[in-house]
Amino acid sequence: MIRFENVSVRFGTTEALSGVNLQVAAGVLCALVGPSGSGKSTLMKLVNRLVEPSAGRVLVRGADVAGQDPARLRRSIGYVMQSTGLFPHRSVAANIGTVPRLLGWDSSRIAARVAALLELVQLDPALAQRLPGALSGGQAQRVGLARALAADPDILLMDEPFGAVDPITRRDLRAELRRIHAETGKTILLVTHDPEEALELASQVVVLRDGAVVADGAPAALVAEDAPDFARTLLGGGQPGLRRLSLLPAEVARDGRPAPADAPRLASGATLADALSRMAESGHGVLALGDGSLRLEAVLARGR
Amino acid sequence: MMALLLAAVLALVALLPGWFGGFPPGRLLGLAAGHAGLALAGVVPAALLGLALGVLVTRPSGRALRPAADAFAAAAQAVPPVVAVALAVPAMGFGWGPTILALLLYGIMPVLRATVAALEAVPPEARLAALALGYTPAGALREVELPLAWPLVLGGLRVALVLAVATAAVGALAGAATLGTPIVLGLQNQNQILVLQGAAATASLAFAAEGLLLALAGYAAARGGRSSASPASSAGAAQSRKP
Repeated sequence: MIRFENVSVRFGTTEALSGVNLQVAAGVLCALVGPSGSGKSTLMKLVNRLVEPSAGRVLVRGADVAGQDPARLRRSIGYVMQSTGLFPHRSVAANIGTVPRLLGWDSSRIAARVAALLELVQLDPALAQRLPGALSGGQAQRVGLARALAADPDILLMDEPFGAVDPITRRDLRAELRRIHAETGKTILLVTHDPEEALELASQVVVLRDGAVVADGAPAALVAEDAPDFARTLLGGGQPGLRRLSLLPAEVARDGRPAPADAPRLASGATLADALSRMAESGHGVLALGDGSLRLEAVLARGR
Repeated sequence: MMALLLAAVLALVALLPGWFGGFPPGRLLGLAAGHAGLALAGVVPAALLGLALGVLVTRPSGRALRPAADAFAAAAQAVPPVVAVALAVPAMGFGWGPTILALLLYGIMPVLRATVAALEAVPPEARLAALALGYTPAGALREVELPLAWPLVLGGLRVALVLAVATAAVGALAGAATLGTPIVLGLQNQNQILVLQGAAATASLAFAAEGLLLALAGYAAARGGRSSASPASSAGAAQSRKP
């Protein structure tokens, strides 16, 4: 779906990205993480030609973006930014309807789409005629998300979308994004400097440092013992073992032997971290899981 | 509305002496019409040129022209209109020509400065969002940048218009029939009443022009606001108009 082939980007004399190779399959939520200046935002902006590569190719839906009209390409890709970028002179409804209007939809179709999107991002329809200045941060961010989804693009680019809202709103918005991703199956490229956010939301995590990809893989793999040190430190938050356990479902360590009768039961859908916590609080080294059991040694073996 | 009220008071001051042996009111009104026409003939091209230059030098491709445009506008305004008129007469002859040229030169800077400042004050994230969503650069300018810049641009237009109306009186020196005519007559004949009438009429016209421009802008904003769907929150609209 999105492919970077040996891409370098140079701004003046500084190299923002050097020789990046990366592939993001259709339907994947891919998080780009790294410290500021690592090039994660630049990498994302290559996809809709807000940044041009100085070497290499960027392919979207199999076609090199360099040969595509930038305005047309961008209308086919949703874009959400940290500061929302809502047009302050236009109502919420007009903001959401921006891309459909650019695509020449008729006004009744746009109005219906706006109403559906307000519902999707769980905003009160009464807000439709407000100006963005009258919205709270969380509401504005939801409008930004709705605007990006307006023409039903199959690709969504999100540049630190939840960076400027309070922690509680951020948690809600993350849950919202996870739900929307599950419902719509869009390919999402999410730039974030928050490792927890990356691990929680993404099925593919790409770690960047000084303009190069240092790690690329599933969240649990990047905090494993054999993951590159930089990625493990960045994503592990000082407890990579626990992080990894929290990313793995308890099912993976289950064994068929039945648990002793007095073993506490672990809910299905729990992670290995939940299991470890349950063991710590109950003092039992064996838990009942389904019709089998979960043993401490098996849990610990998965933490590496 | 303050401007229109002042215009009415000053008009009375200008017209009243006419019935007591001053400059006849009928002729004064005729001169006012000519004066207004002359001022518009100068300020309209100045506004268009100032706007166009302001847009040009804020585009990525025109940024290099910025210092040159600033210098030109400053130089144009530094020349006193009287001098511009005097210098232009030998080349253009008597009549409206020299005055229009002087007003054109004089009016560019306020509009150019205001346009540049206004476009630079557009939130960068709104501009980035416009491009990222798929506006062409021209579309982003028309639909996002200019609407957001408009209140400040309007300020520049007001200044240019008032300057033009006030300065058009100078045209009398080059033989254009303006409200400067009674002033020149009064100065020549040591008749202070004529000078007062011409000055009051000129000021009245300047205030009236400003009032009309604001009324026009308010009307356009109300119509534009209605067509782009935001009747609900006039409070929000007023808030967003604050620069």
